[in-house]
Order: sequence, then C-alpha cells, then structure tokens
Amino acid sequence: MNYIKNSRFLFSTCLLAMVILFSGVVQAHEEEKKPYVPRKVDIYEGFPDWYKGVFADNVGLKEGSGLFKDYYKPLFMNMYMYPGRHYEPPTRMDHSIFIEKERRDLCIRCHEGINTGAIEDWKTSAHYNPRKTPLIARKTKIIEDSIGKEISVVDCFDCHVDTEKKQIRLPTAGDCSECHARQVTEFASEKNHGRPNHIQTLESNVLVPWYQEAYKRGLGAGNAGCDMCHGATDKCDPCHTRHSFSAAEARRPQACMTCHMGPDHPDAESYGESKHGIIYELEEEHYNFDKPLAHVLVGEEYRTPTCQFCHMYQGGGTFTHNFVSKGIWRMGTVPPSNIEYESSLKDYPYGIKIIADKIDIHSDENLDKRDKWIELCSNCHSPRFAGGWLTQMDDYMFQAFKLTDQAQKILDDLIADDMLYPSPADRDIYPGGDWLADVLPAELLGDGVWNAFKKTGGKVPVIGPILGVYALFYQGDGNPTHIETSYAKMWFWYKLQGYKGYAHVQQDIMWWWGQSPMLQELGNIQTEAKRMRREAAIEQALAESGKSVSHSRGGSGDSKSLLSKLFDW
Amino acid sequence: MGYTGRKKEVSKSINLCWRNILSGIIIAVFVTTTCLDNMAMAQGKLKPVSEKEFKKGKEAYDKYCAVCHGEEGDGNGPLAHALYPKPRDFTKGQYKIRTNATGSLPTDADLIHVISVGIHGTSMIPWDILELDQIKSILPVLKSFSEAWQYREPESPITIGREVPSSQQSIARGKKLYEEKECWKCHGETGHGDGPSSYDLTDEWEIPIQAYDFTRASKFKGGATNKDIYLRFTTGLNGTPMPSFANELSDDDRWSLVHYVKSLAEQKEEHGHEE
Repeated sequence: MNYIKNSRFLFSTCLLAMVILFSGVVQAHEEEKKPYVPRKVDIYEGFPDWYKGVFADNVGLKEGSGLFKDYYKPLFMNMYMYPGRHYEPPTRMDHSIFIEKERRDLCIRCHEGINTGAIEDWKTSAHYNPRKTPLIARKTKIIEDSIGKEISVVDCFDCHVDTEKKQIRLPTAGDCSECHARQVTEFASEKNHGRPNHIQTLESNVLVPWYQEAYKRGLGAGNAGCDMCHGATDKCDPCHTRHSFSAAEARRPQACMTCHMGPDHPDAESYGESKHGIIYELEEEHYNFDKPLAHVLVGEEYRTPTCQFCHMYQGGGTFTHNFVSKGIWRMGTVPPSNIEYESSLKDYPYGIKIIADKIDIHSDENLDKRDKWIELCSNCHSPRFAGGWLTQMDDYMFQAFKLTDQAQKILDDLIADDMLYPSPADRDIYPGGDWLADVLPAELLGDGVWNAFKKTGGKVPVIGPILGVYALFYQGDGNPTHIETSYAKMWFWYKLQGYKGYAHVQQDIMWWWGQSPMLQELGNIQTEAKRMRREAAIEQALAESGKSVSHSRGGSGDSKSLLSKLFDW
Repeated sequence: MGYTGRKKEVSKSINLCWRNILSGIIIAVFVTTTCLDNMAMAQGKLKPVSEKEFKKGKEAYDKYCAVCHGEEGDGNGPLAHALYPKPRDFTKGQYKIRTNATGSLPTDADLIHVISVGIHGTSMIPWDILELDQIKSILPVLKSFSEAWQYREPESPITIGREVPSSQQSIARGKKLYEEKECWKCHGETGHGDGPSSYDLTDEWEIPIQAYDFTRASKFKGGATNKDIYLRFTTGLNGTPMPSFANELSDDDRWSLVHYVKSLAEQKEEHGHEE
C-alpha cells in the first residue's frame, strides 16, 4: 500500500513539476519575443551637463576636450585614446554596405588578411567562445539573463558597429556596459571619491594649461606621452587588452604597469622591487589568475598580493572595479590638515575649487578606509604589524610635508621681497596666463589666483603644488626659475616617490627616491635663496655707490639681455 | 597626418644577367607569336559597353575595389600598403585564378567567380554582397586598365579530365611526382612551403611571394576543392613562379598530385603542432 501511495505521490509531484516547468518554458518563450534593446551605463552620470559637453560628446578631431578645448586641436591618435570624445569613423573604406547587410562573416574574412593578429586574438577570447570554461559559461549565463538575449558569439559587429548611425565605432566603456554593466558601474563609481581616479583622467590631462602650451609651442606630438595613460577614462582595454579582453590577464600586476610607473607614480618599481613583487615574480606560475579575486585562496593561490588584490578590495572579502575607494593620501601630493604650516601652505588650496582640499588623515571616513587596509593586510600579517606600518607611513608623510613647508616658506619670502631671478615680470608668461582667467571663473580658480592672473596677464610666480608642476613639463629660458623647479620636483616627484616606496614597502625607493632627494632639493632651495639674496645685496651696494645694476631685483622691470647686463658690470 | 600618396616604384635598372636575357627572349618570342596570331583580330576584342554602363561599373569599382586596387587599377589603393599579399595590379592583365590555359586572360566567368568567392588568406572577401549585375558591370572597368584586353582574347576553359579517386596508390603516385617535378624546391619536402627556393621567390611585380603551405588545409587562394587545385596545376598561376603542368603531366597524374598535396594537410593534424 505504502508503495502505491508513494508512487501516487511521486506521480503527482512529477506532474506538478512538469506543469511548473512548462509554464516556465512558455514564460521564457514570451520573454524571448521582446525586442532586444541595449541598455548602457553612462559613466558621466552625476556630472553636470557642461562637463559632458566638453568631455563626453563626440566632436571628432575638430576641437579639444575640457574647458580649454578651443585652445588646442587634438593629435590624430587621440581618436584612439579618447574614442568617446574624439573618434572619427574610417573614411578610406566605405563600410556601410557590410553594416546594412549585417555581414559579420565578411568583417572577419577581410580583416584576417589585414589584422590577422587581432582576429586570432579574438578567437582566444570568451567573446569568441562564451562557454570556453565552466566559469565563463556561468558568467555568460548571468549576462544573458540580465540583458535578455542569448549569446552564442560576440563578434566584430557587436562592438564595432554603431547600428543607429550605421557606421564603424571604437567601443567605449559605455558600449562594453551593454553586457558588462556591473563592472562598468563599479568603475564609474570611482568618480565619487574625487581625483585621482580613472574616470577623470582625461580631465586631469587637459585641465592643466601646459597641455595646451605644448601645442602652442609646436611640441604637441610629445603629448602622446600623457594621452596614452590619461585615456583610461572611458576605455576598458587599458587593462583588458584587445582583442582577448581577458579577466585573467587584467588580474596580473603587469596589467597596471604600463601606466603606473615612472617618476610621477613609480608603482611598478616600488611594488615590483618589494618583497611582495619579487615573490610574485619568482612564483608567478603558482598564482591562479583564472579565479575571480573574491574566490582566491590567499596563501595557496596568491602567496603575495597583487595591485588588483589590494586596490580593488572593498572590505568584507569583496572586490569591485573601483580602485580608489580606499585611497587616503591620494597620490601623496595633497597636503594633510593634521600638521601646522609656517608657509602659505596654511591657506591651501587658496580658494581653488578644481583641486582637492587638505586631507584630514584621521577623519572618520579615512579611519574606516584604514581599517579596510588592515583587514586586508591581516590576511597574512598581524594587525599590529600592518597598522604599525601604516601609521609609520603617515608619520613619514607628515614629515615630508613639513620639509615641503620649509621650502615653500623660503619661496614665499623670496617672492614677498621680489627677489626671484629671473623675476616673473622678466620672463615669459605662465602657460595660458593671458587667457586662463577668462576661461576659468573666479569661483573655480579662487579670487586670489584669478586676480593674480588678471592683474599680471599671467606673469605669476609658480609655487609648488598647483601652479608649479608646470616646471616639470615645459621649461624655457628661466621660466620658471631653477628654485621654483627644485620646489616642484621636491613636491611632485620626491615626496610622491617616497610615499609610493613606503606604501608598497620598497625601502630603497622610500629613502633614495624619496627622503634623500627631498632633503637635497631643500638644500638646493636654501642655497639658491641665499645666492639670490646675496646678489640682491651686491646690486643694492653697487646702486648705492652709483653703479646702477637693476637686472636682478624682480619687479624692477629691466628687460636687458643677460650679456648686456654683464657688460654693465 | 603625414600620409602622402606614393607612386609605386618601378625598377628601371637594367641588369644584363642571363636570367633577364633569357626571359627577354621568351617574352619577345611570346609577344611575336601572340601578335602574329592575333594581328588580324587586333581590334574589337573588347566588347564595347555604353558610356553609361561603364560609368556605373566605375562607380561600383571606385566605391568597393579602389581602396585596395587603386582608382587606376594599379594595385596601389590607399590601403594597399597595409596588405600582404598585395592587391592585384590589373594593368598587366595577369590573373592567377583562371580555368583556361597558362598565359591567357581570364574568362568573364573566371572574374565573376573570383569576385564572388574571394581569395582565401587575403583581404579579398567574397563580394557576394553585391548584386550579380553590379559585379558584371565592374568587368569592363577591370579590362580598361590593361591594353592586353584590346589585343588578346581569353581562351576557352580547359577540359577537366575525369577525376582519379583518392587512394593510397594515387597519393603515392602524387608523392613521386611531387619529388620528380621538384615541387618540393618551393613548397618544401613536407609541404610547409619552406623549400630551398622558397626564400627568393618574387612575382612578376618583383614583390616577394611565398610558396603555398599545403598544411594550411583550406587556405588555397583559388579554392580548396579538388577541382580547384587540379585547375591550378593545369592552368598555372599567371604572374607567379607557379607554372602549368598541363603539358608535362597527364590528367591522371595531376589528379594524383591533388590527392597528395591534400594529404599533406591531414598529416599535420595527425602530428599536431610541429613548430
């Protein structure tokens, strides 16, 4: 009896299950009928309209980007660096017939003959085979469910054709978000943390007036050195290189290194030569990069952390495409509010709205970030060890900013006494100094800086953090002076490099690229200031004895050549 | 952008080595015989098309073909520099993929076939995307690029001999012929296209050319069916070092050779990657 009962029960259960399944099929079938409408993430969401107008809207190569867009014409290659803003479809070959007839096969046939490498690369990708591995198949399933479309292959046509305009496009992060919405949304969230971040790299690139100055001086082609990294704004392929677009590849530290290296951010050097980096290098083959970060078995699959493992960590064992959410010191270039300043640094950021305020390293928000770092480091280290190191790094930075403060005081005093040589009055104007104040309103630039530009027509001294970085980009004929340049280096290179050395635990970089050259530059600044003051005193004495030599004193405005001045002597 | 249109450089140096003299004599004999043969019918070989029809064809040519083959048909279009193999230069009237005897101009059907199916391993796609009428309209344009079309007429397609079925015997026979006829000198002993002469091959335009790698299976430029390969052996590839074996080898032998070179691709699959 029991047996019959059981079988009856089994039968009815089966029937029920079949009904449910069948209704599911019907439902799925109805869903399939809905036309596919791509949805895209707007990485500029939340930015004001004017911002999108100068960074997001496509203008081809007709004009530049940002607020100074009318002061330069982009380089040809900028269309590839900033596709959203500057891409222009090809003109040599009319592709419209292939687009109209949607001949995906012909894209491949022709380009196999031209760009064989790109096609072969794509053939290794998950785009070519969305069920390449069980993991990729699972991910594909998630994408299919979220966009409501079955994916058998993602080919040239899907990414490179703008079906509305019926023309070839160069895909942007927005285009990728059609399928990879979560990743692009996470990436776009970087903008909520202020610069530096990836989303605003284009802004940082063209906001500085020395970018336009290069074009004005006929040196524009050199700007590609900036453009190639500062195009990470709306592209995914700086890390997931085309056309394999591999997640595993982007999880390797090398993925970051083409940009995150060099004197302005020696991340590759400091991580690469740290114990973390060296162990990675030695045991690379034991690291499992196929696994999503959240599932990595620490120690077993990663013996040391990678750039991605630390900087994508969001706490609680989670990882996202936001790399800056735990950033406290930013790039090591923004002064902390936690120390007393003697120099004009106390007034930083001088009312300028387009740069960050001083950082309170001990704010609740930053202490929360610190906790996440310690949580992360504690995967391997004791919390006392991790916390101790980070506190010591803060102290190093406080010291570094104290040294900076000393240097800035020396410059402040020289300027106040009008003793810079050559003085701002006797040298070329600051890049864009004659139009900057017309484009940037006083509300953005701050009254002080705005007035200085307006009053002097751009003949302003350049002190360190904001204006002075110019010294590292475009030097010329005492513009700016040696002492201002020394200060810019101290600020933007050595303090920053020392910080990177400390943060990535590379002791030699921390000392020899950081503290030591900082002290050397401070020494140079002190000596140079003494020399300027001595020369001024000599001139003064000569003037009093009737021999007028008026070239050294800053504001006195004599524009004789150096040679003729020497003859006066 | 500093792109400047460059004219294709034509080598004008006269190098009086024996090879040039020999080829000079051959060309002279060839031209003389052809001229004698065709003297009487020198005019009107090219079926005249109306100006309107020609214009229509030229528009299609300019839109779809000129980007590689050049507006003047010299194979020097704006994208030519990026391509290898280079796009065909139509000004010599030399066409590789034909169904008629070596040296002949292609038939209209040959041209339509190549345009419609494309050339494997190159950027010449199958232009089946165009209407047949459009493809046909392009032919007079192609012919206008070379004087050859005014003086000569395409020969009739050759007769294709009955195919010998592929068997161990025919493959073995093909292998023997491959050795005897020195195919290996260019195409290599294992068919990888790496024979001793393969490094110095150039085509009639003095552009370096590679001997075909038979292990690449389906990438035969003129198509990968047995018949396609048979035709290449029989008609030769004009403008390239690949001669015709129509006179040297019997029909059966050419079919045997087809089966042998096809077997070279299968060998690769069995052995896996070699390099």
